[in-house]
Amino acid sequence: MAAASSSDSDGCGVESNEANLKWLDAHYDPMANIHTFSACLALADLHGDGEYKLVVGDLGPGGQQPCLKVLKGPLVITESPLPALPAAAATFLMEQHEPRTPALALASGPCVYVYKNLRPYFKFTLPQLPPNPLEQDLWNQAKETVITTMTTLKKNLADEDAVSCLVLGTENKELLVLDPEAFTILTKMSLPSVPVFLEVSGQFDIEFRLAAACRNGNIYILRRDSKHPKYCIELSAQPVGLIRVHRVLVVGSTQDSLHGFTHKGKKLWTVQMPAAILTMNLLEQHSRGLQAVMAGLANGEVRIYRDKALLNVIHTPDAVTSLCFGRYGREDNTLIMTTRGGGLIIKILKRTAVFAEGGTEVGPPPAQAMKLNVPRKTRLYVDQTLREREAGTAMHRAFQTDLYLLRLRAARAYLQALESSLSPVSATAREPLKLHAVVQGLGPTFKLTLHLQNTSTTRPVLGLLVCFLYNEALYSLPRAFLKVPLLVPGLNYPLETFVESLSNKGISDIIKVLVLREGQSAPLLSAHVNMPGSEGLAAA
Amino acid sequence: MGLLDRLSVLLGLKKKEVHVLCLGLDNSGKTTIINKLKPSNAQSQNILPTIGFSIEKFKSSSLSFTVFDMSGQGRYRNLWEHYYKEGQAIIFVIDSSDRLRMVVAKEELDTLLNHPDIKHRRIPILFFANKMDLRDAVTSVKVSQLLCLENIKDKPWHICASDAIKGEGLQEGVDWLQDLSTATTWKL
Repeated sequence: MAAASSSDSDGCGVESNEANLKWLDAHYDPMANIHTFSACLALADLHGDGEYKLVVGDLGPGGQQPCLKVLKGPLVITESPLPALPAAAATFLMEQHEPRTPALALASGPCVYVYKNLRPYFKFTLPQLPPNPLEQDLWNQAKETVITTMTTLKKNLADEDAVSCLVLGTENKELLVLDPEAFTILTKMSLPSVPVFLEVSGQFDIEFRLAAACRNGNIYILRRDSKHPKYCIELSAQPVGLIRVHRVLVVGSTQDSLHGFTHKGKKLWTVQMPAAILTMNLLEQHSRGLQAVMAGLANGEVRIYRDKALLNVIHTPDAVTSLCFGRYGREDNTLIMTTRGGGLIIKILKRTAVFAEGGTEVGPPPAQAMKLNVPRKTRLYVDQTLREREAGTAMHRAFQTDLYLLRLRAARAYLQALESSLSPVSATAREPLKLHAVVQGLGPTFKLTLHLQNTSTTRPVLGLLVCFLYNEALYSLPRAFLKVPLLVPGLNYPLETFVESLSNKGISDIIKVLVLREGQSAPLLSAHVNMPGSEGLAAA
Repeated sequence: MGLLDRLSVLLGLKKKEVHVLCLGLDNSGKTTIINKLKPSNAQSQNILPTIGFSIEKFKSSSLSFTVFDMSGQGRYRNLWEHYYKEGQAIIFVIDSSDRLRMVVAKEELDTLLNHPDIKHRRIPILFFANKMDLRDAVTSVKVSQLLCLENIKDKPWHICASDAIKGEGLQEGVDWLQDLSTATTWKL
């Protein structure tokens, strides 16, 4: 037994990612040859044997050979060709009879094909549009409309296993609700544009809300009794997905962002994605009551968001084009992904995995809840407030006068500094120089280093002198006067000299450094070096 | 064990009692296996998914087994660890035909092996690679490879291919447990 030493030789766990501790890699087949998007994936117990199957409306490679595939575990168990490209797949319960096996509906072209027990059961075709009699012959075929999107809506009970109606969106800007048993049109609603994504909540016989994302970049919200949209959300870009999470409508847009809206069209939040959104779907973990949005991105990531908070990132070897989460086989929390190259990835959420919001806190920061210790109002405070109220204008004027005086004084001081070259930076056109002094050592002997830099771009500077002015009772320098070599533009010239502190009382003073041009008495620039106290003498 | 009990065990009058935990994912066939090991007059005809757990008893030639047949459903799997202390042996059942959930079985096995009540004990583990009769079942060698059983170094383990509906392979496993209990190196 157990002769092979490789931990895992085929399929399982090849993709295992250390950072992704929440998911088990159940299956990865890059050559699965499944080309589809999220609307064409559905999970259901089609045979009523407790083993959930995956239904795929497959567009075929390059959209050439559309077919219906049913998968059990990693294997395709049935495959049947379709006459036209699939638009959406949905499973729903048609009637109350036992055994309660769900029917499968596949929208393709102008028809909805309904299968029971994986056998064709009914074909619903959209009603013909009334053609203009003059153009009838010409437009006879062109007038046929097609289904763009499909979803299900519970008929009259909110239970998980209640009978559902099919809701269809069509190319001629209409929404149809079909009777689950007779497949007659129960109601018809018209939209200003072609619907591409649908989200429905509620029950048909009681009250329902229908959100339809349309090709004109708007989302229309309809209710029972309303033949026309009640609210309209105008997006600034085209929608790429529409998911309802609890009471929030989450829309993905072509601007690489997710937006949250209320059912009345009020915008709640926006999250920016690192890449274009390719597909979206709902992640619902019943055992923990979690609902989140999954978004497959063009950079090969699948991001899971609860509202604005990022819960998890899954890295996939190829960009994911369709996503589906739910019960598959006998495992409740299974994530099925198909990739752009036709690959199939199946991951299972660990039983112990908990989605925690990583770092990004939602709501107000904790500091906001802290009570500040505000002191009580004192007599002084009350008096001052009264005074401010009475003499507000005068106080403001006095303050303004002082402010002007301060500015004037600052300007004067600056001008004087410029005139007498007191600043360490000279900005004159002939000698653009920068001076920077550093004092090293503990004393009594210090090392004073002057860093002199010619800041002009081309002109070298020649014939400069450095002169130190200091109190001779306190300090002694070997030379109070230095000749500066030629300064090449841009280079930093350190000029070093030693300074000996003569005082034994720990007194420190200022040494003035002047940079002069030969033959001129006014310095080009100057620096005041604050000498540190001599530690050496203080210790002695 | 008192002196009299010990004596009766030695003389073969009374069988030694062993507490066994039967674990594995839902729908792997735990209850069917236990049912098949019971005497034929005590077997039940239809097996339903176990809720919580059930306690079953059966005997082999020298041992008397008390089995805690735990439910394998996801929501009950957190009950398993409360019985680890009492278990003297573990039967772990795997559905060999469920390729997709082999990773889940591995995950649950790894959690079991790393539990503080199990980790440092030389508790024997008997694996049943069940449902061998099904067409898409993988071999027991493949199952042990997928579950990385060769990494279990500090516990005696054994894997049997089984078909619980017909009862094939079950006796082999029980014999292994019994042989182990009589060996001197390990005491139940």
